[in-house]
Amino acid sequence: MADRRRINGPPGATIPPIYEDASDKSVVTRQPPRSRPANAIRQTYLKTGVTPSASGSAYLEVEMAGKPGVSGLKLSCTVHGPRSLPRSSLFSPHIILSTHVKFAPFATKQRRGYLRDPTERDLGSHLEAALRGAIIADRWPKSGVDIIVSIIEGDQDRETSRQQGDEAWDMMNTLSGCITVASAALADAGIDCVDTVAGGVAALVRDDADNGKPKIVIDPVPSEHDKIEAACCVAYLPTRDEITNLWFKGDMPDDDMATYMELVQQGIQASKHANRVLVQCIGETVG
Amino acid sequence: MASVTIPGQLLGPTSKYQPGPGTHIHQTNLYSSLLGVVHVSQPVKAPGPAKRLNKITPAPAPAELPTISVSRSGVSEKREVLPEVGNVVLCRVVRISPRQAVVAILICGDTVLDAEWQGVIRVQDVRATEKDRVKIYESFRPGDIVRAEVISLGDQANYYLSTAKNELGVIMATSEAGNTMYPVSWKEYRDPETGVSEARKVAKPF
Amino acid sequence: MATTQQVLLSPAELAYLHASLSLTPPIRPDGRAPNLFRPLVAETGILPGTNGSARICFADGTEAIVGVKAEVEKTRGADATEGGEDAEEDNNREGRSEWVELTVEIPGLRDDDSGTAFLSAMLQEALLADGGFARKLWINRRYHWKLYLDILLISPPLSYPLPLLSLTTHLALLATRLPRLKSEGDEDPFFDDDWAAAPYLYPRDKKSSKALARPPVTLLVMAVGRNIIFDPAKEELAVADVALAVSVGEAAETDDDKGKGKGRKLRLLSIRTIDPPSRLTPPGVPNASNAAYGAAGATQKQPEARMAEAEVVEGVWRAPRGGAKPLVMAALVQKALERGGVADEVLDALDGVDLG
Repeated sequence: MADRRRINGPPGATIPPIYEDASDKSVVTRQPPRSRPANAIRQTYLKTGVTPSASGSAYLEVEMAGKPGVSGLKLSCTVHGPRSLPRSSLFSPHIILSTHVKFAPFATKQRRGYLRDPTERDLGSHLEAALRGAIIADRWPKSGVDIIVSIIEGDQDRETSRQQGDEAWDMMNTLSGCITVASAALADAGIDCVDTVAGGVAALVRDDADNGKPKIVIDPVPSEHDKIEAACCVAYLPTRDEITNLWFKGDMPDDDMATYMELVQQGIQASKHANRVLVQCIGETVG
Repeated sequence: MASVTIPGQLLGPTSKYQPGPGTHIHQTNLYSSLLGVVHVSQPVKAPGPAKRLNKITPAPAPAELPTISVSRSGVSEKREVLPEVGNVVLCRVVRISPRQAVVAILICGDTVLDAEWQGVIRVQDVRATEKDRVKIYESFRPGDIVRAEVISLGDQANYYLSTAKNELGVIMATSEAGNTMYPVSWKEYRDPETGVSEARKVAKPF
Repeated sequence: MATTQQVLLSPAELAYLHASLSLTPPIRPDGRAPNLFRPLVAETGILPGTNGSARICFADGTEAIVGVKAEVEKTRGADATEGGEDAEEDNNREGRSEWVELTVEIPGLRDDDSGTAFLSAMLQEALLADGGFARKLWINRRYHWKLYLDILLISPPLSYPLPLLSLTTHLALLATRLPRLKSEGDEDPFFDDDWAAAPYLYPRDKKSSKALARPPVTLLVMAVGRNIIFDPAKEELAVADVALAVSVGEAAETDDDKGKGKGRKLRLLSIRTIDPPSRLTPPGVPNASNAAYGAAGATQKQPEARMAEAEVVEGVWRAPRGGAKPLVMAALVQKALERGGVADEVLDALDGVDLG
């Protein structure tokens, strides 16, 4: 799909700057390693009701790492609806959920276009799966709700992409933020949910400082670790003890189920931490 | 008893309460499904056996339990309501055809709707008697405000509405001359200035 | 999205399906065992114009073609490091995920449909999970192969096409050969034009011509009640409590793995939850609230006095709510990774395909 509404330059004609390695390796300031404990998430700010014209809205911010050039995560979510479906659609006994995740053009190191690219669509599908398990869809027959998450600032390090050649680990953090912020916005909009769903990420990392022994941390920041072996993003319903969305990727060292179980368990822990922020935030809006 | 709940919060066992709006059942317990304030309402005593039973019905459930519900009032003014079967709605006639009148639903119960929902009053649902003689253009005109009851969720686009009751029908109408008219009979509105009568399915004034 | 397609089953049919799939052992509509795949017809090397190709046709009529094309591309940012120390050896080769481009085409769906994007992201993610695949595309420090994988579903998507697409991609990659490199070092690459001499992307044993390593496969697993069902058909997916796509690859055997039972040693590469279409199925109406059976008539209700929650009635279908217990998900993954289990059988079956 080409962007027909704007005049764009030829695609792929430019590349973001690549910084040369400092010739003297000893001068290179090594990134500060993770300072918080392995079982703590970064500080999170969440507020609902930020967009008056929407049925429900929320804003989420995750603190930046201490290092300059590393941005935190800033997400804004609006919920529109429930409203009537377009005339062309079929009868539905349930609410039709449509999720849109969009990076602002300036949110990441490489500038993004205005049209949604495959990564954004993929994130949207993940978000839809996570939320669809949480809402009680049969309360709203014949109606639709649009959930729009704008990523104002992506959780990214200027250096990371070059080191790992992959944005995928950032995507997991972004998705977990999207799930939490959308859940807050849904509660603000008054759409029936079985529980407050929140996202959490856990990763199996390998640090040179630990002699390359793999360990599991929650809410990983890729730039704080030497290598991420595997990671999982979990959308979890705390009171029901259920997972609505699980996204795992990476290279497990062996066919050992215990590592996988531990990783998911830690993901659930991260989600519980995020859920505490969520509950406190939406509880404050009343009263 | 008014306390704030968030979705997923335990409200009590199903053996103690009946589920009301804003709640859901999960494994014999009632949970909140909305961010809102909890209300418990005691059941109204049924006013004795009203009618002689004339058909076999399953034994009615013992509806003696208090109903627990979660409402959004006090949290937010914004709360969408969907028209439901059995609701009385106020709507404006958008266009008419020989078979049906297309209306836009404005108010559902006491709630002004935010979103626009479309409804249809079919020719056979206009009144309860002499259904075969009903003519839509003698019952509704575009711009009329109509009180109607929802009889079905309908198809993908329209709710199906009915005015086949005395208290349902046109409650506000404008004449061809552009004046607001007053009802004179169950099927007539009159213009106070020109004195011309126009045919409508008139709602019985309360 | 492909999973959210309208399922044309009535609530009664859904309830019946769900009940029969929850029995021990489950009774599937087509009589398969829970871990049995549908029969399929596979062939490779059908397109001479590609570097590798494959076609698979499932017994239910769904059919997919995959073509792999490779192009030489200049590595971005390579000039900056050029002329550095030449001593760096092969273990310094690093692949990048952008060297692989994978597209999925499903008839009847727009190419910007999020379901298609989800499928292609899932297949790509499994392929690149261990970083070893992108490393195969390294030519020298200035050039690399860019691999285009075009996955075409030719039939309408009669069931969730993920297993079919994954198996076809697997075969096409096994059959892929890249021209033999004749140049040396970091000079501009040129290749041997003898196709017969072209090495396979996944190297093979000289004698048995069996592949030594293999690309990953993605399995679709679902759970109904306490049963785990592999390769569900569309109707079965419509009553799933939870559905997972699990990508597994072959792991290298180490010495202490010997004697751990037969079958391959598998490793987990990726998991994604598939949104089961069961959440969008119409609910049944229990007799207690059915007006035709003398339930209290729906007389003038106040708005808000609706949504009377009904308790779950045995035999009346209701779309599942919420997610799945972590232990159920773990059981699904465990079953997929089992030594000598379904993934093993699938890989064995794919071994039997003549790679031409």
